[in-house]
Amino acid sequence: MYETIPADQLNTVGKKSGRVDAYEKVTGHAPYVSDMIMQGMLYAAVKQSPHARARIVKIDTKKAKALPGVRAVVTGEELQYRLGLYVVDKDILAKTEVRHFGEAVAAVAADSPLIAQKAIKLIEVEYEVLEPVLHPLKALEKDAPLVHPALGDYSYMEAAFTPVPGTNIANHTKIRKGDVEKAFAQAEWIIERQYTNPSVQHVPMETHVAIVRWQPNDEVTIWSSAQSPYTLRNLFCTAMKLPHRNVRVIVPYVGGGFGGKAGIGIEPLVAVLSRLAGGRPVKLMATREQEFSLLPCRSQLTYRIKTGIAADGKIVGQHMTMYWDAGAYADYAVNVTRASAYSAAGPYEIPNAWVDAYTIYTNKPFGTAYRGFGHVEFHWGIERHMDLVAKVIGMDPVEFRRKNTLKPGSHTLTGELIRTSTGSIDKCLDAACKSINYGKLTKAEKDRQKRTGMKIGKGVACFHKAPAMPPFTATAVILKMNEDGTVTANLTLTDYGQGSYTAIAQIIAERLGFPLERVKVAFDCDTDRDPYDWQTVASKGLILSGNAAILAAEDLLACAYDTASQALRCNKIDLAHDADKIYIKHHPESAVTFRQMAVGYAFPNGNGIGGPIIGVGRYIAQGLSHLDKATGQGNPALDWTYGAHGMIIEVNEKTGEYNILKVGSAFDVGKVVNPDSVRGQAIGGMMQGLGTAVCEGYIYDKEGHLLNPSFTDNKIPTAVDMPLEIECMVVETPQIDGPYGARGVGEHPMIGVAAALGNALQQSTGAEITHMPMRYEDVWRAIRHIEPVDNWITKSPFGSCKSSPQMQGHHPELG
Amino acid sequence: MKITVTINGQKYQRDVQESQTLLGFLRADVGLTGTKGGCGAGECGACTVIMNGEAVNSCLVLAVEADGATLQTIEGETVKGKLSPVQDAFARHHAVQCGFCTPGMIMTVKDLLARNPKPSRDEVIHGIEGNFCRCTGYQQIIEAVLDATGQLKESDKEGLKYV
Amino acid sequence: MLHDFSYVAPTAVDELFTFLATHGTKTAVFSGGTDLFVNIRGGLSAPDYVVNLKSVPGLSDLSFDPKAGLSIGACVPVTRVLNDPTVNKKYGVIAKAAGELATHQLRNRATVVGNIVTASPCGDMSSPLLCYDAQVEIASAGGSRIVALKEFITGVKRTVLQPEEIVTRIIVPTTYAGTKGNYLKLKRIKGHDLGVVAVAMIATSKVIRVAISSAAPTPVLLPDFPASASAETIKESARKAISPIDDVRCTKEYRAFMVEEFIDRLHAEVKA
Repeated sequence: MYETIPADQLNTVGKKSGRVDAYEKVTGHAPYVSDMIMQGMLYAAVKQSPHARARIVKIDTKKAKALPGVRAVVTGEELQYRLGLYVVDKDILAKTEVRHFGEAVAAVAADSPLIAQKAIKLIEVEYEVLEPVLHPLKALEKDAPLVHPALGDYSYMEAAFTPVPGTNIANHTKIRKGDVEKAFAQAEWIIERQYTNPSVQHVPMETHVAIVRWQPNDEVTIWSSAQSPYTLRNLFCTAMKLPHRNVRVIVPYVGGGFGGKAGIGIEPLVAVLSRLAGGRPVKLMATREQEFSLLPCRSQLTYRIKTGIAADGKIVGQHMTMYWDAGAYADYAVNVTRASAYSAAGPYEIPNAWVDAYTIYTNKPFGTAYRGFGHVEFHWGIERHMDLVAKVIGMDPVEFRRKNTLKPGSHTLTGELIRTSTGSIDKCLDAACKSINYGKLTKAEKDRQKRTGMKIGKGVACFHKAPAMPPFTATAVILKMNEDGTVTANLTLTDYGQGSYTAIAQIIAERLGFPLERVKVAFDCDTDRDPYDWQTVASKGLILSGNAAILAAEDLLACAYDTASQALRCNKIDLAHDADKIYIKHHPESAVTFRQMAVGYAFPNGNGIGGPIIGVGRYIAQGLSHLDKATGQGNPALDWTYGAHGMIIEVNEKTGEYNILKVGSAFDVGKVVNPDSVRGQAIGGMMQGLGTAVCEGYIYDKEGHLLNPSFTDNKIPTAVDMPLEIECMVVETPQIDGPYGARGVGEHPMIGVAAALGNALQQSTGAEITHMPMRYEDVWRAIRHIEPVDNWITKSPFGSCKSSPQMQGHHPELG
Repeated sequence: MKITVTINGQKYQRDVQESQTLLGFLRADVGLTGTKGGCGAGECGACTVIMNGEAVNSCLVLAVEADGATLQTIEGETVKGKLSPVQDAFARHHAVQCGFCTPGMIMTVKDLLARNPKPSRDEVIHGIEGNFCRCTGYQQIIEAVLDATGQLKESDKEGLKYV
Repeated sequence: MLHDFSYVAPTAVDELFTFLATHGTKTAVFSGGTDLFVNIRGGLSAPDYVVNLKSVPGLSDLSFDPKAGLSIGACVPVTRVLNDPTVNKKYGVIAKAAGELATHQLRNRATVVGNIVTASPCGDMSSPLLCYDAQVEIASAGGSRIVALKEFITGVKRTVLQPEEIVTRIIVPTTYAGTKGNYLKLKRIKGHDLGVVAVAMIATSKVIRVAISSAAPTPVLLPDFPASASAETIKESARKAISPIDDVRCTKEYRAFMVEEFIDRLHAEVKA
């Protein structure tokens, strides 16, 4: 889909333009599900488990049912449905055992939120508290309690995943390339370390909310603040054993998602309440606190990396083990595991590689998709590792990276050949370095150090990411011409803030040769009206839906040209068009306007031809394959987006307090469709990454209670937390199959930010931090070589905060 | 309890539950859903409205406390369908992504500009400290405010750099 | 709000006290409501009645008298204190702490008195007020009494206040008015956050006064130091007075370390 059209010949793509949804949003008119009220609507509330693991001895709902205004009460025992995206392991409500703090055990629907809340308090649950399995590495031990003893009986997507029955392993992905042991035998250095990051919350500003009406004839309508209407419908229908035609999913404006609204969430629970209440619509809106424990989070990762390096600084072999803490249910975590495994080394060529990536069940709130889909987490490890390795071998971290980056002719871990058109990590790295004057201090910086007494440090981090999606992922766009010659596009890629609809509108306008104002992308999504899209995830929307939009525009033009050739009595090949009309090239005065043809052309005598002009664009990812289960070899990547962050910080070496002075980021986006949207994604993602780097993270006690499920103790960045200076840069290496050469960049800005901070801290103070987040206290401890804060699930057991640990060979804590 | 409130210049009389918040009153009792709820605890600022000339978190104000008060909400920001300068700048600068924090953010900015018509960049940053935005990373919001107040430098308008 | 209560808005002091005398144990009084409504929503508080002090005349005065000092009425929001020229001039550390308290929106509602009555170990207003030797005026149907702030807070979220009583105002004497000083607060982010640990210090030509928040069950006022005291002496005293704990916000080690770091910085500042 890449056309070699010089940028100066593009009219809309690549040009600045406002967002198509701006007016609705700045006026407060945009309707979100949280704003919606239906006639006769009931309000739901959920009873949640106070324990991480417990047997449900008895649930008494009598008092709740007797409360006036309560219309439905439900417990797990009454529900025979099981849900699961890839591994079907989750009941709508816990049945005999609760598997995590905050898990739903009962729910009610009542006339008002207040009555619903009162009813919840009246539900009495008797628990027998069981010993939870909380630490992912403990969960792998032989005698560990099993979170899912029946794992062997669950159905799962066999082409992609490998659960291990009788263990807590929900999936084991393997990548095998070359001969790692042989490479290690020849290496000059072998360096092994471990990196951890905690679970974090997406924090969409609109919490999860759904309204469901389940009519007595089994026709169901779901209004949800969700990212993926079709996947939601598909999973819902599979669980409820309903024909897809019976279920309609409507997604209006969505107040942020970041992956947390990608699959299926509260909708099935709300649906059963509606059915129990005789088909009255029921609404459930999660509280902010429920976002942290009732709804899923991002998985915790423990990442162990062992690298063999030759005397010239080339990596010769790398052994990588990822322990992904799924929490109580597999959800997206198994696919995060798979996608991370095949990208595990970062944008570097590793000739001999061995990856074992495990998804591990524990008794904690479960992990799901989150912007970056595992890549934020493991790039923390790999990009910190690059700097730590460079320090040990005595090479500059950037020089060490440059020696090892993927270049045209390199092969990825799965054996995919990198071409020039794949993009350039080197150009991104160079831009990031230049942006921060890497490797030296300017005079102003030296003066600043003198003035403040703080030490300035500079660090960089690289990254890559491909969409994590089935190899046959598909989408469609329907483009309809309106009576006045404007066009309206329907699609179910959702725009929950990332700006996709503005880009799609620009692409359609460009292809049709219409001004942007003539193109509308219908904002709400409706599975009864709009064509299929797999999911709005993975930074694949621009490529797949962009291509479908181009095809729809082509199809619409073909339709119009058909009509025009009849109306003008000529060959189609002799026709051309401008924004208003189709005309005969050699007789431009012979023309018919789009308006004349929009809903069918009528000759002067009233005879009609053509009918309404519609374009259909269908697109499916091409040339991708499943990974071989034994070796991980195959072609999983629709595209690779490369990027790099450079960061300048200043640190108080005594206290660990630090300020972020500048972040300079570069991304190879293929082709910029909307500069301000790219910049918005770049800065927004960078700040979200900075949040997880600086302060965010779940903290548990030893019984598995989540201790910080609110904004009081789970801070996210405010405006005051911004770096003093931000520079956003793009490289444009066109993607051959991307629309106008574009590739996705929605998730990428978040990746690598934490590592850039960690690397800058190391560069300035020597602090060798291997766990996130990096609070002032963590930096203080690292500088002083004292043990890290024992958050006990996320503390890195070795390597962390010790200046030069024994890095060759066996480490006692490795076991 | 019966209360009378002036919202965006219009008088509203409603009988409200005494435990109803001002946020709930605006959204459920009056039907003005432009004001959003993001946390219920005064942390996120999504529910910011201007009450008697002061920005407040409407999730932590009782509706009954607003009896006799004058309120401004996002719905009053547009005059005859025309965007206010702040709204217009937000739209032009992509200071909006998911849009959920936007109404509260604009109310906070409106209040800031009422107190300080030409805030410096640093004053804008501190002025919007009480409003979380998870999407934009704040930069384009700050640029929008500086532009709306005629302070955005040409060099700041460059934005994305092509290398 | 997911808890029902009756709203009471007394229009006279007598009416308020009569109500509290009868229903005090089932009542929560509020002015800003920024703590109370968070607690009610979170199920931590479930009063039958909430009483709005703002409707009671005479509780919203912020005034300064050269003899009696500064009087901060129960309903004076933090913003007013923050913007008050007299407070800024004579009680700069109170203004500094007021600026560190939460966000602009919350400061428009939250009151200085409320911040004290909440008696949270991390309340921003307590340390500076302790330094200035603030007094708390408590009143009920039975009359009024004055309690020193250092006696007022007795534990985590506990005070000497009885159910039938309210705090009518805080009085800050002129003893230390116009002295140098500052308030330093450790937060987890640069934006609004509770104090992980905080230290207030003021210094006259004769004495140095230091109070510490979030490092013990109550804010701690250290004994007076002579103006010549070294930072080391103050830190020595602080070490004995505080008992920091490990929690989700910080470890006791780092809390103790930052208390000393802040003392160093403040000492250098007041000596400069």
